[in-house]
Amino acid sequence: MFPLRRFRVEDDSMRPALEPGDYVLVNRWAYKFRPPAKGDLVVVRDPETPDRFLVKRVSDASDAGEIRVVGDNSNRSRDSRSFGPIDHLEIIGKVWIRLR
Amino acid sequence: MSLLYLLARWLDRISPAPIAYAHCDIPCGIYDPHHAQLAAHTVVRMVDLINQLEKPGSSSTPDQRQEYTNKLARYIATKEQHSEIAKNEVRILWGDYFKPEHLKTFPELHDLVWKALKSGSKARQEINLQAAEDLLKATNDIASIYWKTKGFETITAKAPYPTERLTVYPKFK
Repeated sequence: MFPLRRFRVEDDSMRPALEPGDYVLVNRWAYKFRPPAKGDLVVVRDPETPDRFLVKRVSDASDAGEIRVVGDNSNRSRDSRSFGPIDHLEIIGKVWIRLR
Repeated sequence: MSLLYLLARWLDRISPAPIAYAHCDIPCGIYDPHHAQLAAHTVVRMVDLINQLEKPGSSSTPDQRQEYTNKLARYIATKEQHSEIAKNEVRILWGDYFKPEHLKTFPELHDLVWKALKSGSKARQEINLQAAEDLLKATNDIASIYWKTKGFETITAKAPYPTERLTVYPKFK
């Protein structure tokens, strides 16, 4: 499995870190050797619609393999505040670089 | 605009990048069962007012009949409107807020929604206090489930409105 995968960002819940139209390169191996940490930008599978992806920031990483994610632009974001914690298996990877 | 950005955009022509939504959708996440309860109260109140209205007897004057008709028409119009509001608010909670996992915890939800919609229609069609009460009860029961999914206990108290019917309120910490 090639570690890098690119995504195009849509919508504005991650403003100003990510703008709609940006690309992000995601490292799918980032969490092979270390757990997600608070503050990481991650792409996750949408727990409510599994065939779509969300890009969010980790707000809390517990030992139990669950993380909470929120959007930076919190009043424009649907995230763990509505769908709760997500399993680490739902994480696609960590955002490595942003292309604008 | 960086070179890598242009490369990524060019790659989109060969194989489009999947989209990572930073989204809102807009499920704005803002729901509250209070709208439905409030509208149900209005329906109950309109039925009460209609029932309290003195019907013009055979000796009534045209003016009295006109006043009666005017009041009746206004109460009925409001009853029509608010039973529809209650039904619509219940539909929004049901379709947009409640999720399958809520149904696992509260398997009675579908039936409650169905009861709310049916009694809402009946309260709209008829001057039927029981139907209005049933509508209010169903919205209260749905409110109780809603607040539980949000992690709040509820209390049932007499509403501070002229209807004075029992109403479910969240116990905010």
